[in-house]
Amino acid sequence: MKQVLAKGAESVIYKMDQWGDPYVLKWRQSKPYLLPDIDMQLRKSRTSRECKMLTAARALGVPTPAVYFVDLNKYTILMDFIPGIQLKELAEKASQSVLLSLSRDFGKLIALLHEGNIVHGDPTTSNVIVSNNSRLWIVDFGLSESNATVEMKGVDLHLIHRALETTHWEVQEKMLEATLEGYIGVLGSSAEPILSRMKEIRERGRYH
Amino acid sequence: MTLYCLGIEGTAHSFGAGIVTSEGKVLSNEWDMLKPAQGGIHPREASRHHSELGPGLIKDSVQKAGIHFKDINLVAFSRGPGLGPCLRTTATIARTLSLKLAVPLVDVNHCVAHIEIGCLESRFNDPVTVYVSGGNTQVIAFAGGRFRTFGETLDIAIGNMLDVLARELGMPFPGGPIVEREAKKGSNFYDLPYSVKGMDLSYSGMLTAAKKLHSEGVSISDICYSVQETSFGMLAEIAERAIAHTKKNELLLTGGVARNNRLTEILSGVAKRHEATFHRVSPSLAGDQGAMIAWNGILQYKSGRRIKVEDSHVLPKWRTDDQDILWR
Repeated sequence: MKQVLAKGAESVIYKMDQWGDPYVLKWRQSKPYLLPDIDMQLRKSRTSRECKMLTAARALGVPTPAVYFVDLNKYTILMDFIPGIQLKELAEKASQSVLLSLSRDFGKLIALLHEGNIVHGDPTTSNVIVSNNSRLWIVDFGLSESNATVEMKGVDLHLIHRALETTHWEVQEKMLEATLEGYIGVLGSSAEPILSRMKEIRERGRYH
Repeated sequence: MTLYCLGIEGTAHSFGAGIVTSEGKVLSNEWDMLKPAQGGIHPREASRHHSELGPGLIKDSVQKAGIHFKDINLVAFSRGPGLGPCLRTTATIARTLSLKLAVPLVDVNHCVAHIEIGCLESRFNDPVTVYVSGGNTQVIAFAGGRFRTFGETLDIAIGNMLDVLARELGMPFPGGPIVEREAKKGSNFYDLPYSVKGMDLSYSGMLTAAKKLHSEGVSISDICYSVQETSFGMLAEIAERAIAHTKKNELLLTGGVARNNRLTEILSGVAKRHEATFHRVSPSLAGDQGAMIAWNGILQYKSGRRIKVEDSHVLPKWRTDDQDILWR
């Protein structure tokens, strides 16, 4: 028995009941409008990358769903189902103090990844799940990379800034401030070059 | 009463003048593009092009619209973003006309104008817009009173990338159409760096790798084919991420690179997968032209916006999301 939980940009997410527990099955579907070489290469590399990174991130102390099964020929991953709500949705109804405390926690988790030289690659509030006990889980590691440089970490922070300004525009400044506060709390002075890179990246690709 | 708006565009290498009515009818749309004999666009040469050809193009646009200068009710101009010298020349022409004809002046954001002319043509209400041109590569959607940039290039714009590649391969400017023609003849795909970061992307690594293929003797058609498939695939992915994220059900393709048929085919596939309606702006309204400025002038004027000549300094770095959208 399975039901569609979400249809994302690059995959379909199913919720399945198996062995008496709920699981998530993530399937990267074929995209007929892409060149088959590119389509297959992306689906394969991202499925494999996501499995590795979910586990690597957990080793760094970042809560992520555990992986049970992967099929690189079918582009599927079976992992834990995390009961909870996306931070994106919660932001619309949570009180400001709760939201800022969650943002600080989000910043801490991103910092733990960066400390281990991993970048998430798509750190939007859609990819953060808040479980019932207010614990944050990070999901969707398909664009994640290891051996991250200052530049890659700067891009990760830039993407957080971007996500906040497009999706949480009313509270974006406060959320960004709280997120960076949590981030700096973990990394201390080693956060400085990454923060200045974030600002530099924001200015690129624009009229200057 | 029908209003007639003269729209003047001149943010980069093209100058355009168009007349659009308050009902959204495009009566004329005249333009000319500077084509340098070699190399890229020099801002000073482009601004000279605008001051030399601008007055004639404006006269033509009024004539072809079947009206007289005294029928014009307002003048709209592209205030930014763009190249400073070009913007200043365009603004000077617009200010002069507004004072001479004693009609209001309206300032227009070039990127917003590209979106709204697409909405006028497609009758879309609230699309995710893929705006691709020589200077811009953005995925934009309306949220909270602004057009917000969900994703964009972190380095060079797609049109710029295609033009630089074309120049490298010995093709004249503008290279985009020739790259498209060559790509059709290509059959061997070469792996190129595919760089998507969240909803942003980057093209400079791919461009460098494509140049390298050329120096290794790979055929021009195979390079063009591989570059198009890779760069458009990346664009499709960020468009798809924006649709999935915003849950909007219209996808609009606008800007000069919207003329590319392969890009259109790929993005219509994206729309289909997400059960969204797709529209590609027709070629005459895709590139930089005055009709889009005129139409945005009408929208702004109707919502009460005008600008005094003394406040109308140009804004070369004007962001898409810096303007409050009063008419939506």
